Amino acid sequence: MADTDNATAAGTVESAAARSALHIGQGATPETTTATREAQGGAGGLPQFQFQHWAGQIGYLLVLFFILYLLMSRVFAPRIRRVFDERSRTIEEALAAARKVQAEASAQAEEARKALADARARAQRTAAEAKARAEAEAKARNAQLEAELNARLAEAEARIRASRDSAMANVAAIAGDIAEAIVDKLTGLAAPREAVDQAVAKLQG
Amino acid sequence: MAEPSGPIQPIHQFEITKLVDFGRVNLPVFGPTDLAFTNSHLAMTIAFLLIVLFMTAVTANMKVVPGRLQAAGESLFGMIDGLAESIIGHEGRRYFPFVFTVFSFILAMNLLGLLLTFTVTSQLAITAAFGVLTILLVLVVGFARNGLGFFKLFVPSGVPIVLLPVIVLIEFVSFLLRPITLALRLFGNMLGGHVALSVFASFVVALGVYAGHGGASLLVGAPGAALSMVMVVALTALEVLVAFLQAFVFAVLTCIYLNDVVNLGHGH
Repeated sequence: MADTDNATAAGTVESAAARSALHIGQGATPETTTATREAQGGAGGLPQFQFQHWAGQIGYLLVLFFILYLLMSRVFAPRIRRVFDERSRTIEEALAAARKVQAEASAQAEEARKALADARARAQRTAAEAKARAEAEAKARNAQLEAELNARLAEAEARIRASRDSAMANVAAIAGDIAEAIVDKLTGLAAPREAVDQAVAKLQG
Repeated sequence: MAEPSGPIQPIHQFEITKLVDFGRVNLPVFGPTDLAFTNSHLAMTIAFLLIVLFMTAVTANMKVVPGRLQAAGESLFGMIDGLAESIIGHEGRRYFPFVFTVFSFILAMNLLGLLLTFTVTSQLAITAAFGVLTILLVLVVGFARNGLGFFKLFVPSGVPIVLLPVIVLIEFVSFLLRPITLALRLFGNMLGGHVALSVFASFVVALGVYAGHGGASLLVGAPGAALSMVMVVALTALEVLVAFLQAFVFAVLTCIYLNDVVNLGHGH
């Protein structure tokens, strides 16, 4: 116990001497300068070359480094990696979902386009059919009307022909009568009816 | 302690101060060693606790859509993750915890150095420990994965047989230098930056005191102190960048060295 105390005291004295020597610099007495040299392991100059402090610092650094390494590799790095992985997974999932929705939307748009085209085609077909039907009806009505008109025309013509025929027949009788009357007036003779009719028929040709 | 009128002592900030002393022992490699809880230990502890606190806060209540803090933690994580994956390839994930621990620890200690009075990464002992640790991991992974094929690392393919001895020697020496360059790069950057900061900061004080004498010294001292102050602000901004950059560079080099042995024979 006493030994340690002595050593501690000696160490404190030495380092204090070294410190004061450094502070005083040029003004140091020869004794303190040698003491400093000794304390600095004979290197002099920079405090970094006081080798009596090396082992303590290095040992402590290695202990801290080892603990830090364990913490990094076992605790911190896995935690951050997990979040990185989770993040990339989330992004991938969101992208996949977006891609799916987009595909669905374009499929629906395609469907809608097809439905529209169908409807248009159907409408056009219906319109064409209606037109054709209307045309056919109109034609049929026309034909019927024409037939009716033709029939009436033919009837009218027949009637005209009949009345003309009858009129013509009357004309022959009238012509006969007139010819008979003219012969009577001119000659005073009664002309035979048959001869007159024959002459009229000849003239009629 | 630092009296304004005294000589400029830019290296005082690197002094190890014992807070709790445990005495002195004689260790095999390190020689006589003071066992103590020093200001360096304290700064390391704060850095360690800050990282644990930060990572706990980031990962405690993680959401798929991150908040601000979680986004900050995730961007650091993602940056190193992307680095390991792009350099080492698919197996980068296995080495990611090591790279990220190195990166976050160095970054925390660098940044704390700008806020506290002590910068752990300006201690060569610490940077050397990081460098040796990294190279030891490279060696372990190299031998575990490739066995004696590890030595193919020193024999690049497609080299003329005449040049081979020279090339192998160069490759071997460059491999040996890796932990040293790793340690010295970080150490040098932190040391230099903090010395420069300290020098300009003491200029502010010294010139300010000088200007306080009045008269002609005011004409010299006041603008000088103001200029030095501007330099301190600018250098502090630069040091923030350097603090991040050096941690990042250490992580990149760790990845590159690991890649050499993980993908030995099919990357060269």
